[in-house]
This record gives sequence, structure tokens and C-alpha cells, in this order.
Amino acid sequence: MTATLTKPPVDVPAEPEQPRRKRDVAGILNWVATHAIGLALGLMFATPVVFVFLTAVMSDDQAFTSNLWPREWHWGNFVEVFDKAPLFQYLINSLTYSLLATLGMLISSIPAAYALAKLKWRGRNVAFLLVIGAMMLPPQVVAVPLYDTWSSLGLTGTLVPLIAPYFLFDAFSIFLLRQFMLTIPQSYVDAARVDGCSEFQALVRIIIPMAKPGIAATALFCFLFTWNDYFGPLLYTGEVKDQWTLSLALATFKGMHIVQWNSSMAVTFLTMIPAVVLFVFAQKSFVKGITFTGVKG
Amino acid sequence: MTATLGAKPAPGRGRARSRHRLAVLGFMAPAIIGFVLFFGYPLVTTVVLSFTKYDLINPPEFNGLDNYTFMFKDPLLIKAITNTLWFVVVLTIARTVFALGVASVIARLKSGVGLIRTLCYLPSLAPPVAATLVFFMVMRPNGGPLDSVLGWFGVDAPLFFSDPAWAKPGITAIMLWISGDLMIIILAAILDVPQEQYEAAELDGAGPIRRWWHVTLPTISPVLLFGIVNSVILALQLFTQAVVAGSAGSGAADATGSTKYLGFPDNSTLTFPVYLYTQGFRYFDMGYAAAMATVLFIISFAVTIVLVQRMRKNSTAEEGGPGA
Amino acid sequence: MRKHTRAALLCVAAALTLTACAAGKGGGANSDAAAAPGKDDKLTLTVWSNYSDREYEEVTKALKTFNQKFPNIEIKHEGSQDDDKITAGIRSGNTPDVALSFTTDNIGQFCSSGAFQPLKAYIDRDKVDLNQLTPAVQKYTEYKGNRCAMPMLTDVYAMYYNKDMLSAAGITTPPKTLDELYDAAVKATKKAPNGDIEVAGYLPTMGFYANRPTILAPTFGAEWEKDGKSGLASSPGFTEMMTFQKKLVDFYGYDALERFRAGLGQEYSADHAFHQGKIAMMVDGEYRTAFLKAQAPQIKFGTAPFPTWKPADYGTAFTTGTIMGIPKGAKNPGAAWELIKHLTFDTDTIVGLSNAIKNVPSTKAAMESPKLEVDEQFKTFIDLAKSDKLKGNPVTPIGDAHIKAVTDFSVSYQSGKVPDLAAGLKEVDKNIDDLIAKSGK
Repeated sequence: MTATLTKPPVDVPAEPEQPRRKRDVAGILNWVATHAIGLALGLMFATPVVFVFLTAVMSDDQAFTSNLWPREWHWGNFVEVFDKAPLFQYLINSLTYSLLATLGMLISSIPAAYALAKLKWRGRNVAFLLVIGAMMLPPQVVAVPLYDTWSSLGLTGTLVPLIAPYFLFDAFSIFLLRQFMLTIPQSYVDAARVDGCSEFQALVRIIIPMAKPGIAATALFCFLFTWNDYFGPLLYTGEVKDQWTLSLALATFKGMHIVQWNSSMAVTFLTMIPAVVLFVFAQKSFVKGITFTGVKG
Repeated sequence: MTATLGAKPAPGRGRARSRHRLAVLGFMAPAIIGFVLFFGYPLVTTVVLSFTKYDLINPPEFNGLDNYTFMFKDPLLIKAITNTLWFVVVLTIARTVFALGVASVIARLKSGVGLIRTLCYLPSLAPPVAATLVFFMVMRPNGGPLDSVLGWFGVDAPLFFSDPAWAKPGITAIMLWISGDLMIIILAAILDVPQEQYEAAELDGAGPIRRWWHVTLPTISPVLLFGIVNSVILALQLFTQAVVAGSAGSGAADATGSTKYLGFPDNSTLTFPVYLYTQGFRYFDMGYAAAMATVLFIISFAVTIVLVQRMRKNSTAEEGGPGA
Repeated sequence: MRKHTRAALLCVAAALTLTACAAGKGGGANSDAAAAPGKDDKLTLTVWSNYSDREYEEVTKALKTFNQKFPNIEIKHEGSQDDDKITAGIRSGNTPDVALSFTTDNIGQFCSSGAFQPLKAYIDRDKVDLNQLTPAVQKYTEYKGNRCAMPMLTDVYAMYYNKDMLSAAGITTPPKTLDELYDAAVKATKKAPNGDIEVAGYLPTMGFYANRPTILAPTFGAEWEKDGKSGLASSPGFTEMMTFQKKLVDFYGYDALERFRAGLGQEYSADHAFHQGKIAMMVDGEYRTAFLKAQAPQIKFGTAPFPTWKPADYGTAFTTGTIMGIPKGAKNPGAAWELIKHLTFDTDTIVGLSNAIKNVPSTKAAMESPKLEVDEQFKTFIDLAKSDKLKGNPVTPIGDAHIKAVTDFSVSYQSGKVPDLAAGLKEVDKNIDDLIAKSGK
């Protein structure tokens, strides 16, 4: 990836060319310095996870010590943790929460985002402001009455209070999807209407195929958000262990199930894998989704 | 936007208009129901409950402003507010500056961009609980990796999660490690800065630092404002990292949100949301928790308005205004 | 303007009715005793406790002895459920039939809020003689005359000392007074040349392991209450508690002490500092004897009553214990009561469990039972339990908030952040009184 004279595509770094000879030495030094800093940054971000991994494969005894490098590699630690705690159960709960919530979000948010992005109606701006307001609201603000309601329905201690809202309303997803849909030229939608499509057909035939990357990104974020959620599961399933998600269970590992550092780090490492796998397979969607949350109003 | 036929239902054609209305209603129906159920109703009820004494066992009793007046007598609440304000100030500045710094470096890289960008971004995807435990392990005194490495230089690592003075900086470090999303946003904004502006500045004899200061920074300022608002919201909501760091630091056997250990050490990690949670769902003083929630709502509402104003200005500038 | 206010009021009223309905599931306190289960009723009793690992297995075994009387009842025992989870379960309707709480910290709250059902009707119906229980135990299972819990075994706190470490420091008998304790702590401490603590005689840090103000209060003769109000400032014992701890902190050096403490293992792990020979003396409950024998057989330890400020108080100790209650909303209250009665009064069950997890029995009969295994270290606790010098928890309707307030204050004081001890304690008093006033109970 060398600097070219043309304007670089989005993810190629932009740096004005250095035309004059005199600058060559300075340019090289500059290059070295910048890349050294960049490399140092990258390492800084990676190091904690490397330590976690190295601790995870240590023996029980060594994990108590201040050694950084494992004397022997105990790969079995990653398997043994499944005996120490019902990880499979937690994994299934986490998957249930994340997958169903993501599914529900897609069903409820795509049409809403479409109406906010591509249909003209009175109150649309107000509705969009409410979406942003809901997105910014700390979950603790509405927790008291919601907990009260769910408990009177007898549904605390289950994953229902966590999943159900996604089938109706998820502010962040609606917001993000709307931002994506705004980038689809209005002319496509109008053309579909001219061809006699109903709004529903326009959504299904035109918008959804064109917004696929955006939908993928939104789904990824929704999946990860629920996968990482701690407050929700703590609130609703704290005292019912067979409903715990991985994130919630992980918080109690250092102490309750597992005292050794190696095992608790093995579990910590395992819970981080899904995000990495998703990222590797959908890097573009992630980056695109992230930028859309911030840049485009 | 090119003009096309029938871009919107023509005013006169009643049938089309009601069909259009029906479509909007159909598309928005779940969202409207959801908003009312999960935001409208609980928001109103929160405010109502804040004037009651309610323990979830016995019916709520109206107690006027008692919950609000008690706030002024509650040393833990004052502590919680102080802690949250600390995060609002320090975390917001640190996170925005840090993300801007890293993004600026990455933007100047010519090779290895993808790898380094990925390394910087990936931690932000880790579950917050995991990220906190990672730092807790790395920063633990007496044998933690950071302590060992600093030991080579004859320095003792600070007691990050057991010294009240270091617990909040420790949590801030975690938050910086997982600030990859903001980095990516800022990076994209930097890369979006029109090349011509740099060239013009260079012709005026501006060096890289002055170019960054006079061209990059002003151009991406809307994004930085977004970063600041986003960080403030994050700081106001700080819960998971505080709870997990507090309970892990206390060395308690049972870690998940036990009242005995919330805020460890010395209530230095007791943030406003953590205290709200403690009062509401540990002591089950729902009325008091609702009063705190009302206060939190008012504050975050004010912050949201700042963001919305920014977005309004931005979208009117960029798109001529049909958006927000 | 007026119209608006009226509309708002209507809204408030409507919302209130809604929440009131939601809360209605609990209803008023049930003062009738539910009938005992029939011989053929097939039912499952859920029991929650905070036991884990070895203790969990033993308690499960003890619970199963109930099946000798009621073979038709299946018992499901859920461990690692602390008070927070029990409270949350009761409030939200995910209740067990029987809840076991490790501490008596929350008894006031359990009774006064109605979270635990009143047991009077059952006790009257079955003509249970409460005098089988020791007086301290009777006291910590009720709140203002409302008995909502029964005891299952008792905990008594005393001093543990590492024999080798003390004798290496030239100390032959365990300390009996605070001066002796300070002296022994200093002598048994080893510091590195740079000031780092290698091993410590006794750690004064509040909140560390069993260093809780409730547990330490009897040692100092500290009184929690005065004339129905929080009386920390007017109790010389609390002032002495703070100053004594501070004196030790200053000996170690606050920073060195914190660094040392932060590196110690967790309370219920094999990495416990006493198991590792890193501290020579500590206060802890009798259950520690079992932990030490199972996890650290190499440690030679002795037990003795904890040293006291006033020599006349020597032999006093803090007591608490596992309490059992029937949560509001329990599905099988009648059967739950039968189980509780069994665990509180069946001598064989109590003695068996006591032998297994080394807790002090809570009935007089069990304490005298020849089957009770009492070794040298455990005897200290049995003797303390038989004495009439035991002190229980201050029972308040605010859960453990008052204990947290004192712990927090003590931590600040030890770190040198409190300039005026007396004024500081007064502030804590006011805070506790405010909390109690707010609870309205």
C-alpha cells in the first residue's frame, strides 16, 4: 500500500505526498517514527490478552506465582473449566438471549427504520428524536418499574424480560438502520413506487437487498451487545443460576467456582472468542457500522 | 435528490394517502408499542414511584418529597455522585484525547494499517466483564504481569483495584483499552478530510503538526463533539466495570454485586448507577431508587439535547435538512 | 393551568393503582399456619443456602435426613445463594420454600418487611419449646417480638493463632488483652529491609476476612445502641476499637499494609493467608477449624477466646448463625415448617451436621450430646457457646447498612482521612439513625 497521487480509497491512509528531495531523509525518519508508534500502540492493545492467554495455560501452582511465561503448557485448562462450572448451560443461555434478541430486533427495527428514513409523515422528526432519547437513556432509569412489572407477571428469573423488548423496539438498531437507509438514493424507492410496488414490497424488494451491509452490521452489534450485557442478566436472573448468561457467570468465576487464576483466565479468554470470530468474518460491516453511528447525522 | 414522478403521494388522492398512512402505521406499530411499554410507561412510573416508599412486598405508600430530601442526608449518595462526576470529567477527556491520538497515528501509517487498526479495535468487542477481569489480572499487585514488568525497573505497581486512589484510574484504563469504537469513528472522519485542504495548507508552508491542528482538528470537530457526548453518557452509565472491579478487588468469595463489597475499595468505585442498583435491587428501597433514577434521567436528558442539537446542525449542513 | 394539574394528578393516581396491583401478589402477612403435608403428598421443597463445595455437600446430606420422616418430599438444595439473591428472589417472586441465610445481619429486615413469614402461629400450634435454644440464639432469630426465623447451627468467633509463628516470636501463651495482642502482633511480624511486610502478626484492617465491626464489638465492649438510637460515639468501646486498629496500622505503615493485604488470597479459598502461614493471628468462626484441617493440614494452630480491652470481659464472643425462614410466597409453607423444625430441633441431624462442617450446635441438647465430636481447637468454641457472655448482632430494619457504615468509616479512619474521631463517629450515628428513620420500621 504505497501512497499514490490519487485520492486514496477510504481505508487507505491519507498523507500528502512529499515531493522535494530534501525532505526524503526527514520523510524516512518520519515514516519510521510513525510506524514505531503505531506498532507500539498495537502491542499495547494486544499485550493484556497475551498475558491472559499465558496465564490460562499455566499449571495451578504456577498461576499463583509472578511468572510471565508458562513452564508447561496446560492446554487442558480450557477443557477442565467446563467441569468446574456449567459453562455449556451458560453458553446456551447466552446464545438464546443473543440470537432471539437479534432476530426480534430485525423483525421490529427494519420496518421502523424504513418508515423513519424513506417515508414522509407528520411527526417523523419527533419520532426520531424519541428514538435518540431512548438510545441515550441509562437503562437504570427505567429499571425499577420494569422489574416491578416483570416480577408481577412472574417472568423474572427467566430470559423473557431481556428478549421480549427486542421484538418491539430497540432504539440503537432503529437509529443505525435508519442511518444506513438514508444513504440509499430516494430515486430507487420512488421508482419502485412508480412500478406499482406497495410500501411493503418496496421495503422487501428494494431496501432490504440494498441495505444488506447495514443490516448485517446492526445485527452484529445487537448480537454483541446482548452477548456482553451484564446489567440485564444480573437484574433479572441474578438469583436463578440455570438462567445465567456467560457474561454474568464470568463475573462470579473469580471466587465462587474457580479460585485459580489459570482457570478464571481460561474462561475469560473463551468468552472473548465469539467477538473475535465475528470480527474476522465481518470486519467490513463492523467498521462501516461503527462509522455510521458517529459521522453521519 | 433528483425529482421523480410521484415522489410522495400527491395531495388530492385520498386513497393513496390513507394507504400511505396505513403503511407508516404498520411499519411503526411495534416500535410505538415498544416505546410506550418500555420507555413511556416506566418513565412516568419512575417519577411517580419516586414520591413513594415501596419495597416490592408491601404496596407503595405516598411519602411526598422524603426520598428527595433524604438524598441530602445520604453520605453514600454524595460519594456516588462525586465518583460519577470524576468519571464524567476524567473519562470523557481521557477517552476523547486517547481515541483522537490513536486515530491520528493510525491515519498516518502507510503499511500494516489493517493489522494495527484491528489490534486497537478488537478489545472494544470483548465483554466488559471479561475486559475488567483481564485488567484486574494484569494489574494485580504481588505477582501480576504489570507488577513483574515494573519490578524490572525497581518500581512497585500501584494497587490498582485495592487502593481507593487508584481504583478509578484503573477503571479508566479499562475504558481506554475498550475505546476502539470511538477510534474507528474518529479515524474515518480524519480520512474523510478533503485532500485539497492539506495541500492548500502545505502550500502555505504548514508542517504536519500545524496541518493537523489547523486542518484536521477543525474539520473533524463535529465528530469529536459526538465523542465527548458519547463519553459523557458512557461515564454516566458506568456500571459493569465498577461492579466487577469492586467485587474482584475485595477478594470476596461471592462476586456478583454483593452489597458488602459494592464500591470496594472504600466506596471509590461506587458510581451513581451502582448505588441506584444497590438501593433498588439489593435493599429494595424502590422509591429511593426511583428518585435517583429521576435525577439521572434529567441529567442524561440534558446531555442528549446537546447531542441532538449537534446532529440537527450537522444534518442541515450536509443534507439540506430532511433528516433529523 | 388547573386543568393540567388535574390531569397530572389523575395520571399519578392511575399509575399508583397499577403498581399497587402489581404489588398485590404478596398481600398482607399470613398469620395462619399452613397445614403440615399429608403422608402421601408428593411435593418438592426448594431450599436456598449460601453453602458451596464441601459444606454444600454436607448440608445437602443433612437436608436429606428429613426424608426419614417424610419420604414423599423431595428436597432440592440450591447453594451459593447469598442474602442479596435471597432478597431478590423473595421480592420478585422466585422464592424457595426455605431460605437459609448465613448471617443474622438481615434478620431485622426479613422480619419487618414481611419477607420471611411470621412463625408464631406454627410455634403455638406445635407447642414448640423455644427454651431449648440458647438465649443469644433466641435473640438473633427474631425482631421486636416477631419471630420469623429459626436457627440451624451457630457460629461463634474467637482467635486463631499459628503456634509455630508465635513460638518463633517468643510467645508461649496466646494474648488475652489488647496490649498483649499488640505486642504479639509486633513480635510475630517480619518486614523486609525495604519496609515490605513478609508475614504479619495480626491484620487490623476492617473488612479483611472476618474483621467486621459486629464480630469485633464484644472484644471492645462496644455498644451499638443507646436509648434506641445509634450510640457509637457515646460508646468508649468503639473509640477504643478505632484507636487500637489505627495503632497497629501505624506500626505496619498504611501503604505497606495495603500492599501486603492486596496480595493475600480469598477468604474461602485454600489461598487464605492463615492457611499459607502469612498471618499469625486472626479472628474467625469455628468453621475455620474444618477448613484448616481439610485445606492446610501442615498448619499447627490453636484457638482461644479473642483478647479483650477490659480483662473482666475475657471469654466474651460474637455469635451469629445460619437462620432459616419461610419466604413470603413460598409454595409449600406447611412442609417448609416441618423441614425447619427438623433442622432446628432434631438432635441427631444437628450433631451430624455439626460434626461434618464444624459449626456449634444451636440447641442445648445437641451441645451436650456425647456424639458431638469436640477436639482441642473446637472446644474453645463450644465452651464459649455454653457461657452466657455471647453477644449477637444489633438487629435493625436496615439490613446490613449500619455495619457497612461502620466498616466504611473505619477504613477511612485507618487510612488517616478522618481528623476528628469523635465527630466522625457522631456523623456515622446520625447516618444510621437517618437510615432507620427512612425505613419507617
